[in-house]
Amino acid sequence: MSFFGFDTTLPRDRQQGGPARGFFENPDPFAEVARAQALEDDDGIDFEDTYDGLGDQLDDDQDAFNDDTFGGGDTGAAATGNVGRDFDFFGTTAKVADVIGEEQVRYALQNPSAAPLAAQQRAAAPAPATTATAATTTAKRTGYEKYSDPGYIPDLQAKSSVWGVSQKKPEPIPAASRRPMMSLEEVEAQMRQRSQAAPAMPPQSIPQHMAEQAYLPHPQYPQGVPEGFPAIPPEYLRAALEKGVLPPGMPGLPPGIPELHGGPVMSGPPPMHIQQNQLPPQTLPPQGPRHAGPPPGPRQQQQQQQMPPPPSTRGPNGGLPVITNPQQLMHLTEEQRNAYLVEDAKRAKRNHKIFLLSRGNGLMTPQDKNFITRIQLQQLVAAAGNVADADPEAVLSEDFYYQVYSQIRGAPRQHPHQPLGHFAQTYLLQTGNRLGGHGNRRAFQSADNHMQRMQQQVQRAVEAAKAKPKNKQLIIEGSLGKISFSNAKAPKHMLNIKRPDSSEGPRPKKVQSDLSLSDRKSILTNIESVYSALMAMEDMERTMPPPPEEGDSEAIQEHMEWRQKVHSLNQKLWRALKVMEPIVPNSTTPHPFIAFLSYPKGKKAIPRIFRHIDQEQRVTILTMIVVHLDSLDVVRLAQPGPGEAQPSVAVRESIDLFSLAVMPSLLGYVNEAPFNIIIGLLGLVIAQTHVQSVARTKVGLGILTMLLSRAEIVKEAGQAAERDWQQWVEKFNVLFDTLEPSLADIFPGAINTGDDMYVWQFLAAVGIGASPEQQQRLVIAVKDRVMETVGYSKTLPADMASLRLGNVNLFMRAIGLDVELLG
Amino acid sequence: MLFFSFFKTLTNQTVTIELKNDIRIRGILKSVDQYLNIKLDDIEVLDLDKYPHLSSVKSMFIRGSVVRYVMLPRSEVDVGLLEDATRRGE
Repeated sequence: MSFFGFDTTLPRDRQQGGPARGFFENPDPFAEVARAQALEDDDGIDFEDTYDGLGDQLDDDQDAFNDDTFGGGDTGAAATGNVGRDFDFFGTTAKVADVIGEEQVRYALQNPSAAPLAAQQRAAAPAPATTATAATTTAKRTGYEKYSDPGYIPDLQAKSSVWGVSQKKPEPIPAASRRPMMSLEEVEAQMRQRSQAAPAMPPQSIPQHMAEQAYLPHPQYPQGVPEGFPAIPPEYLRAALEKGVLPPGMPGLPPGIPELHGGPVMSGPPPMHIQQNQLPPQTLPPQGPRHAGPPPGPRQQQQQQQMPPPPSTRGPNGGLPVITNPQQLMHLTEEQRNAYLVEDAKRAKRNHKIFLLSRGNGLMTPQDKNFITRIQLQQLVAAAGNVADADPEAVLSEDFYYQVYSQIRGAPRQHPHQPLGHFAQTYLLQTGNRLGGHGNRRAFQSADNHMQRMQQQVQRAVEAAKAKPKNKQLIIEGSLGKISFSNAKAPKHMLNIKRPDSSEGPRPKKVQSDLSLSDRKSILTNIESVYSALMAMEDMERTMPPPPEEGDSEAIQEHMEWRQKVHSLNQKLWRALKVMEPIVPNSTTPHPFIAFLSYPKGKKAIPRIFRHIDQEQRVTILTMIVVHLDSLDVVRLAQPGPGEAQPSVAVRESIDLFSLAVMPSLLGYVNEAPFNIIIGLLGLVIAQTHVQSVARTKVGLGILTMLLSRAEIVKEAGQAAERDWQQWVEKFNVLFDTLEPSLADIFPGAINTGDDMYVWQFLAAVGIGASPEQQQRLVIAVKDRVMETVGYSKTLPADMASLRLGNVNLFMRAIGLDVELLG
Repeated sequence: MLFFSFFKTLTNQTVTIELKNDIRIRGILKSVDQYLNIKLDDIEVLDLDKYPHLSSVKSMFIRGSVVRYVMLPRSEVDVGLLEDATRRGE
């Protein structure tokens, strides 16, 4: 509005502008940009359009300040003194042409008396509105109006440096700086006084016509360059002002015009033209060149006419640069100038960026944003939900293989109990900061509320995730399908198959029928139910409560409940094993438990089962195995067929598996079993099985060896009661007599086939317990094999030979001999 | 999650992956996600003659849905544990 920032708008102007102000008060900083873009297409300019008739107002008499302006007594002297730079009026003027033009337009608009034409008067109408608005909206300048013009070239101003005539400045400056110090009244008085002298100007007529044409025929001429003059940012100008460089009179420059109009453009007419007239001659030189050069001034004016809105851009600051800029630039050193330009370019870039980013501004209200944020947070929490409620057990069931494998194999553990929801927290905090930082006076309070609500929301979401039912699908009543929930941890299931509960499964009814008890499918089902019981028991083992202390009734209660559960699981397991199914003599189908053992899965389960059952159950299992010894697959199928040296590969594999999985468990029990049980088992072998064929198998021999060696250990330890021992010897003799004829056949195949160590172990076990007479018969029975092995081992490499001889020696030493004696 | 859990234990093992377009790639399994997308390092394309465009590829990210087979080192699979893990599913 003014040089000094006070509002010089007269009350009447305000009134005039009153009605329009409401509209132009629009705070949207980008309205200007949009408008400029809409208009920037048409850049063609007619001279007639651009000439505003200012020249008509020239007053040749008022050249008193020429010297101040041009810094010299006469132009000729100045020209000779400094030919190189002084004469480039066009170039220098062109650099500020837009400013000049604009000022001229304003002048024309606001000085109807000075510019007597109707056109100008017409044009003047909108001016007050503009003025008034500008006065009130200066604070709302966005600063980047000019950058919306693609053709904007900041260099224009830069070049004005070329033109500086530094030595002349000192004089004008004091005058200039003094001038602003006049009081408002003084200024107005001066202006009024001068305005009366203005009208008498020689070149008046032609420009007037031109101006008239310019305004009349093309009132709607759309123009693009909206921001010609504010090229120098207000900050810069302010800085200049502070330095006291208030600068009007510059030689050759159009300073008069800009200076006078720049500030007060928006003010009432009277102050305007007074100052204008103050330096009438100065206006002339610039004007000439200006018409030839780029004429942004008129454009500006037209723009103002068509769309007065840009008021916000025309604040006092907008006007000031016109004065200060050239002056200021001249004062600057080259480096400073460059720095300024660089700075300017940076700012332009940044403003452009802001502009690009700001396209979507205002599309969403803060409430919208909060809403979206809440949805996102909810999803985040839901996605993390599975982990959030992750107690170790849940993790284990989700990721069983990996977790257990990691523990077993010591793989690097990815902390399974990662604190969850810390995502949500992070995001929550971040969002909070941003909202708070905005401090949008309107949204501030509601932002707080939103934060609270969001927090509550997240809390609720977390709780919901924790309480989320385990079932992964939802069947809405009346819908045809099922809705599956999915998240990152558990992708959606493609198939939703409802499984019958295991209790409703086909098993129970099969129990009734003996036939179905042993068909393949039901056996496999049995095995699986054994495994699930096993795993349940293993889980119980993990969750065993600490042993209760005396008097802690709660802990005792807990412990009791736990034991109760374990017991019921044990019963479940035991039922699933079907060990207690009645033995059907001469049945064509094997006993369910024996069938169970005929599958590798069943064999592998035995060690795990033995960990979870009591001694009584163990002996029951052992008894069941012994009773059915010759119907065990590993015994039944292990007899090599006629002409075959050894059983098939599959059978051998299952024998190996049995030896590895089942035998150790049995041995473990037998080694602790009371003597009477051993006697009973041996009796069962003799009574229930075909001993000779059992003895031809590895497993059969193994079990016999187990029993015999245990008996020997019991005897050595002196734990055997005399009566028991007698019983044992009885049984042993029966066994020996039964086996004696086939002792030579218990070796697996020929001497060179496979491993026969287990046979020698058996023979050793027999030998220890045998009477001297039995030992002799034993030696006779296996003498051939011994000699064969000794002879064979001589053909073998040393280590293998010693191995074979060692096996034989096991037996030989049991009966008090040694292979060495065989020499 | 079983397969995800399972493949996680195979990280840093050498596996051979056959894609549904018959390309077979051997490489070190770097990571796998719940979609069974697979990241392979130090890859080597079998039948490179047929796929010369892969000759300079050193590592790969394979979308899970295009995998036909993954050939594993047998020693790295705990069958019993895997069976139990299978039983646990659901």
